[in-house]
Amino acid sequence: MPVESVSLFWTASAFVILMMIAGIYCILATFNLTRALIGIEILMKAVTLLLIVVGHVTQHTALAQALVITLIVIEVVVMVAAGGVVLSVFRKNKTIDVRRLRNLKG
Amino acid sequence: MATLLILLPLAIIMVLNLPFKDAFKRAAPFLGGCFYLLQAALVVFHPAAFWDDIYNPLEAFFAFECSTDALSLVLFLSIAIVGFVAVLVGAHALKNPRQRFFLINLLLLATVGMNANVMVTDLFSTYVFLEVTAVASFILIAMMKGEGALEGAFKYIILSVIASVMMLLSLALLVLVTGQTSFEAVRAGLGASPESLFVKMAMILFVCGLFVKGGVVPFHAWVPDVYASAPSFVSVFLAGIVTKVSGVYILMRLLVSVFGFEASVQQVIMFVGALSIVVGALAALAQRDFKRMLAYSSISQVGYIVLALGCGTPLAVAGAAFHLFNHAVFKSLLFVNAQGVEERCGTTHMEMVSGLGSRMPVTGWTSVIALLSTAGVPPLAGFWSKLLIIMALLNASRYGYAAVALFSSVLTLAYFLSMQRRMFFGKPHKGMENIREAGPVIVGVEIILAGITVGAGLLYPLVLEYFILPVQRVVG
Repeated sequence: MPVESVSLFWTASAFVILMMIAGIYCILATFNLTRALIGIEILMKAVTLLLIVVGHVTQHTALAQALVITLIVIEVVVMVAAGGVVLSVFRKNKTIDVRRLRNLKG
Repeated sequence: MATLLILLPLAIIMVLNLPFKDAFKRAAPFLGGCFYLLQAALVVFHPAAFWDDIYNPLEAFFAFECSTDALSLVLFLSIAIVGFVAVLVGAHALKNPRQRFFLINLLLLATVGMNANVMVTDLFSTYVFLEVTAVASFILIAMMKGEGALEGAFKYIILSVIASVMMLLSLALLVLVTGQTSFEAVRAGLGASPESLFVKMAMILFVCGLFVKGGVVPFHAWVPDVYASAPSFVSVFLAGIVTKVSGVYILMRLLVSVFGFEASVQQVIMFVGALSIVVGALAALAQRDFKRMLAYSSISQVGYIVLALGCGTPLAVAGAAFHLFNHAVFKSLLFVNAQGVEERCGTTHMEMVSGLGSRMPVTGWTSVIALLSTAGVPPLAGFWSKLLIIMALLNASRYGYAAVALFSSVLTLAYFLSMQRRMFFGKPHKGMENIREAGPVIVGVEIILAGITVGAGLLYPLVLEYFILPVQRVVG
């Protein structure tokens, strides 16, 4: 691959890794279910970005576009299901704070 | 024609959701049950016109290729059996026709995902159908909105999405190296650059993602919570087949047709499998709740499948496929027993339930059959699959792992017998004298599943020759 796309790939990868760390931190640090979902969104966005960059670097832009569009649709479906679960938790317990929900032991 | 196994359940879902009268929607369990019976019949009678015809109506619209072989047949039959059981037990347990309708739709949707997963030959399609199955199972778990179930569902969602992220990262790396996503092209591309760091990372990430989905030991935290808190008829479906297809089967398929068996990956997979067997069995010994114990037992049995898979010889993979089928049958049977006990006693906690054997004879005895099959006592089906696995391990000179597999059977027997003694043998507690046998549907399902376990065990020459040993050719 050409030199400029290699440097583009490494810059983007660094950014993707930062986003993943942010997403994982967001999931681990919060006690709020909605914020955990936001963390998941950040993780998914990082992967999407990586796929786009990979498509650009390897000159397979059409493949990458097809993958990313499908991915976005799937992500929306998963988020709707997850949002439904959070809503049911809220209706049942009047809270979405994990600390008040720990009925299950690991 | 085999794509019909994807299109038919989709068509059933669409027809059911057309704005017809409610009377039509009541037929949902019937239609669902018929579909699973049809799928089972197609595998058992194996009409060549259906399986050999490569006509694929989806290919006209999408880049969607699929193929079937002996390994897929084992999976199709397991999916059909567990799906049929889940439809019957779910339709019996849910009295509200609306909920029943939702249940059938979700079961069929998960089946679309799993049937497709069994057939696809493309990494990205694999991911897409994994998510179809996963979303259907999220909703199935949370459907009854019990407090524990919602929490379990949320845990499952978080871990499942993290697994998806790992798989997508791996996919991105594979596209970077090979520029393609279909199994064949990726395999060819990997052959061209075997020592690349990206390839190693991609393999490890994908395998870890599948371990999360399959609930293997370092990643098993969600399994007991989900199985124990979900309604029993959903646990039947999840433990019996969903985690097996979306975790273990895809791992099998990837190792066989994409990554190949490489020594370092094999080591990791075998170690994780053995760890799973032992940790699952030891944790099951400590449980006080029937469903939680079954969940840990499930982790332990998945360990056997993964261990055999890691061994990588054709015989070992055939043994893994057979154990997967057996696990689908006996674990569904045990969860159906749990459903029966829960219905009559209102709890599955072992301290609060005792002496059910004299009150619920069918449930008690079928659970004995299932636990003996799990522990690998001849002549039940579980014995033959464990025998195949241990023989394959010995042939490959993996004596340590063979010993682990052998002695963990004793642990399995220990925790199940202690469960059986507390719950079914002995004298009933006060207030338990008037418990009656579970309803006719549950009893019927229990007898069918116990029959399959005993039948497959007694007719093992036939089962092995026509059904299991052809799997070896897939690897070869």
